[in-house]
Amino acid sequence: MSSNNSNTINIAITGVGGQGVLTLAEILAKAALHCSLNVRVGEIHGMAQRGGHVVCTVRIGENAKGPIVDPGSAHLLVGFEPIETLREIQLIRQGGCVLMSSHVQYPVAVSMGQADYLDHDEIIKSMNKYTDKIIEFDALELAAKAGSTRALNMVMLGAIIGTGLTPITEKVAIDVVREAFPKKFEKINTTATKLGLEQAKSCS
Amino acid sequence: MAKPKELLEDKPGKEILLLANEAIARGVLEAGVRLVALYPGTPSSEIGNNLTFMAPHIPNFYFEFSTNEKVALEVAGAAAVAGVRSMMVCKGPGLNVAADPFFSLAYVGVRGGMVIVVADDPSMWSSQNENDSRYYALMGNMPMIEPADPIEAKSMLLEAYKFSEKLELPVLFRTTTRVNHTRAPVKFGKISSRPDKVEFEKEPFRFVPIPSVARKRHPWLLGQIQKARELSEKSPMNFVEGKGDLGIITSGVSYNYVVEALSIMEIKAEVLKLGITHPVPEKMITDFLRRHKQVLIVEELEPFLETHARRLAQLNNITVDILGKEQNIFSRTYEYSPRIVMDALKKVTTRNTPINWDEIDKKTQELPELPPRPPLLCAGCPHRATYFAIRTATRGKAIYPSDIGCYTLSIAPPLETADILFDMGSSITTACGLAEVTDQDIVATIGDSTFFASGLPGIANAVYNQHRICVVVLDNRTTAMTGHQPHPGTGVTGMQKEVPPLDIAEACKGLGVKYVKTVEPFESIAGLVAEVREMVKWAKENHSPAVLVSIEPCALLTAAERRRTGEFPPKYYVDLEICNACKRCLNRLSCPAMYMDPETEQAVIDETLCNLCGTCVSVCPQGAIKQEDA
Repeated sequence: MSSNNSNTINIAITGVGGQGVLTLAEILAKAALHCSLNVRVGEIHGMAQRGGHVVCTVRIGENAKGPIVDPGSAHLLVGFEPIETLREIQLIRQGGCVLMSSHVQYPVAVSMGQADYLDHDEIIKSMNKYTDKIIEFDALELAAKAGSTRALNMVMLGAIIGTGLTPITEKVAIDVVREAFPKKFEKINTTATKLGLEQAKSCS
Repeated sequence: MAKPKELLEDKPGKEILLLANEAIARGVLEAGVRLVALYPGTPSSEIGNNLTFMAPHIPNFYFEFSTNEKVALEVAGAAAVAGVRSMMVCKGPGLNVAADPFFSLAYVGVRGGMVIVVADDPSMWSSQNENDSRYYALMGNMPMIEPADPIEAKSMLLEAYKFSEKLELPVLFRTTTRVNHTRAPVKFGKISSRPDKVEFEKEPFRFVPIPSVARKRHPWLLGQIQKARELSEKSPMNFVEGKGDLGIITSGVSYNYVVEALSIMEIKAEVLKLGITHPVPEKMITDFLRRHKQVLIVEELEPFLETHARRLAQLNNITVDILGKEQNIFSRTYEYSPRIVMDALKKVTTRNTPINWDEIDKKTQELPELPPRPPLLCAGCPHRATYFAIRTATRGKAIYPSDIGCYTLSIAPPLETADILFDMGSSITTACGLAEVTDQDIVATIGDSTFFASGLPGIANAVYNQHRICVVVLDNRTTAMTGHQPHPGTGVTGMQKEVPPLDIAEACKGLGVKYVKTVEPFESIAGLVAEVREMVKWAKENHSPAVLVSIEPCALLTAAERRRTGEFPPKYYVDLEICNACKRCLNRLSCPAMYMDPETEQAVIDETLCNLCGTCVSVCPQGAIKQEDA
């Protein structure tokens, strides 16, 4: 059973402040609106952004009224970083899909030796208690390949579309990305989107 | 992100994805608002962020970032008294700052429509409390309207101005974080024109509330609230939908959760959704209570509507179970969600929730402990260098009164330079109090925008009363935390006009501070440490306040400027031949761009995150951190 009606797709996006989580959510929602779909985005700004854990929601479909995605109700959990993805794993619904960049960004507490970063195997094992569907790849590497590590979020956008879980078409996604950024970054961002798209397609 | 240009488009009917804050900025244009004044505060910030870039393109429109909320409310209040439509915007704690004019404004009233937008912050995502501002409406007798989403944020704003003008009273327009920061498709309406200049018609025996005037105005105000109640009874902003034995009264963002929860659990209920929450439509609520045996009240924070419902049930001898916070069905803390509403519905009906949340919670508790990732000072933040110097100079032993801004994040290890904080400007004034009752050294820190907002009276107090305090002004040339708005020290106005900036050091000298120095934190860490030591010594010996202004632009502004110009200084790196893995750089600075290589245990600089400040260079005792050749 889902906490939200079947005609609504719930997406939670999580990462570290500064990685472009908010921008991804907005562009994804714009693409949904382009497809004439009802959409809600939930964002958190201010204090919550300064390099800390960030979670954002995109809800697409007729019944989306408020911005909140409850535990057990995300069809798709998009993670920009492994432990930040695990931090929100309770949001995933039964049979939901995790889309995760494997590139690690160490929290300061780990750098200072006050906490340990989890083994990769342990992260996956913990996630598997919630779902078996995990698509994982190094999105930062693909962003760098596209021309800038700052295009990490557009790699993730492409990957979201590539999962086929949203009603958004590839063409609309690329068109919206093209419009969203200044001309000089267009190539990098559209390339990043395409790389993410192919990656997710080949995984799913 | 925000798109001030799009918000200016004269395309009625166009549908666009907007935050409620952006929808309110658009609403300003559609309602023909003549003047907006505000001091930025999250979660309301994007209203001003958009208006400041829209302002120069709107004929007969004035926008300002006022020095603080009290000033903003007085500026906007006067404009509405003169007869034009005006708006003031603030976050919850900001309305506390503006409380004084708030109450007077209700007494004297306004001639042009006026809206006071207040953004409360349940769950305290970016605030020091989750005070429920709805009580201001009750206490000050000011009508209040609460939108539930971005669509209502614009449509109800237009209604709020009509309401305000009918009643000659300002309207409190109360939002919460999950309204302000939700994005939804919003349809543009027609843009209205604004008058150029109006003639201020004198009416001192209305607008100057000396006691004899105020005594007449109070009964007038109560009469207006009675009129407002009649309008509230008939307003489509208060409506009933659905049918069922169970009754639910709700308002604001909670309404969305109610609709979703009822649909998911397939429960039939009659819902009374209140858009006007002061004065509440008493007859409408009374009739609603009469129709049901059970009425659930769904509202975040305090039992505001619930108390009204209980009062009306008692006054009208209605036997009804009013279910809410008094029976602990709902919490008085933090924001709600569909789940919270569903859990409550489970308690009051026989229906089960669709998801076994207990099971999920249990599973989540069993997860391995994750390293925390709280917000922290950015890589390249000049405050990190200044706090490192303050802490080194005083060996962590001074008292460090802090203030409201990014720099409050220095509370975290290893900087640990935030010991006491009440509100905007309290760093300086709490230092004054502490100086009189302790012998410890005191180094207060305050940001540049906060200094102008509420720091100046504290400086005057310290000088006049001869408090032996040290004040370090962390001048990063912007209001950083709320999204980089200008302030009187920056030289740009809300109208995007360049003007002579106010100088913090000169302002302190003008107020009589005898010890005022200016430093650049990235110049030399050793020099900065020496400056702090000297200041502490001087304040103690002279029993007077000393001020050090530490000037360096916010790292995010510097980074954006470098991306714009494409000119970057050479990169920093750790020379692995020299690094002896002592980890002093990691342990003393907690820079997010540095981490330890798990293999070698040596420090590494992540060049995708580094903002090239070079502070780490002077912290390394081995001289292992170097800058590449230009």
